[in-house]
Amino acid sequence: MVGQAALRRPVWLWGIAFFVGMFGTGFVARWIDLPSIPSALVMIPPMLLLIPFVRATERAQAECGALSPATQRYNRRGLIWAFAYVLLLFVAVAGSRALHAQGPLLWGLAVLPALPILYLIWAMARYLVEEQDEYLRMRVVNAALSASGLLLAVATVWGFLETFELVPHVPSWAAVPVWAIGLGLGTFFNRWREAK
Amino acid sequence: MKNRLKVLRAERDWSQQDLAERLEVSRQSVNAIETGRYDPSLPLAFRIADLFGMAIEEIFQRGE
Repeated sequence: MVGQAALRRPVWLWGIAFFVGMFGTGFVARWIDLPSIPSALVMIPPMLLLIPFVRATERAQAECGALSPATQRYNRRGLIWAFAYVLLLFVAVAGSRALHAQGPLLWGLAVLPALPILYLIWAMARYLVEEQDEYLRMRVVNAALSASGLLLAVATVWGFLETFELVPHVPSWAAVPVWAIGLGLGTFFNRWREAK
Repeated sequence: MKNRLKVLRAERDWSQQDLAERLEVSRQSVNAIETGRYDPSLPLAFRIADLFGMAIEEIFQRGE
């Protein structure tokens, strides 16, 4: 019963536990200068919080009548992406250091963390193809358009600020988290408009 | 666009979930259509009309 009650905790609680766990262990690992492999190991337990987080999200989606088979598949693919990303990022960072990688090996290692991101982009495209509910699909498309608008705006402004040497250089992979933030804001805006 | 979905549903004593299952869409879709926040596509409008045994224009009318 206690386990069942724990599983029914709200989404935001699991979300906070996940982010605090991930950032907390990451910060502590850096603070005490933990080597790569132990750093990765201590981040596994908070990473596992992603599973109840996704389950709680699905329960909330079901309760508000917005959980479709396509959404469930997308959630599963999102979990695969998250675990693959952390694993391959670790392999790339630890591998390049341990092997003093250069040349083609370095190219191979460097591109590893990008592969799960490509999978995530594919998963999003598959969701739009597989979603049979036109209203749910429209909401995601609207959120994705908001995300793209935000990304274009941020990248343009930041790019010019960088050109004039007012801000530091940001790697181009930052486009993905900025887009994801935009998607989250777009989803939040959808909900707010519905609640009005 | 205005619609009579809520009235037609109430006449049959169906919940939004009942209607959603019959139309094979989410409950949120039914809610959005009923409250006028979303105008369905023509194929979905035909499905709704077929379900109630009515013409589309008997369910959906012009206007805010």
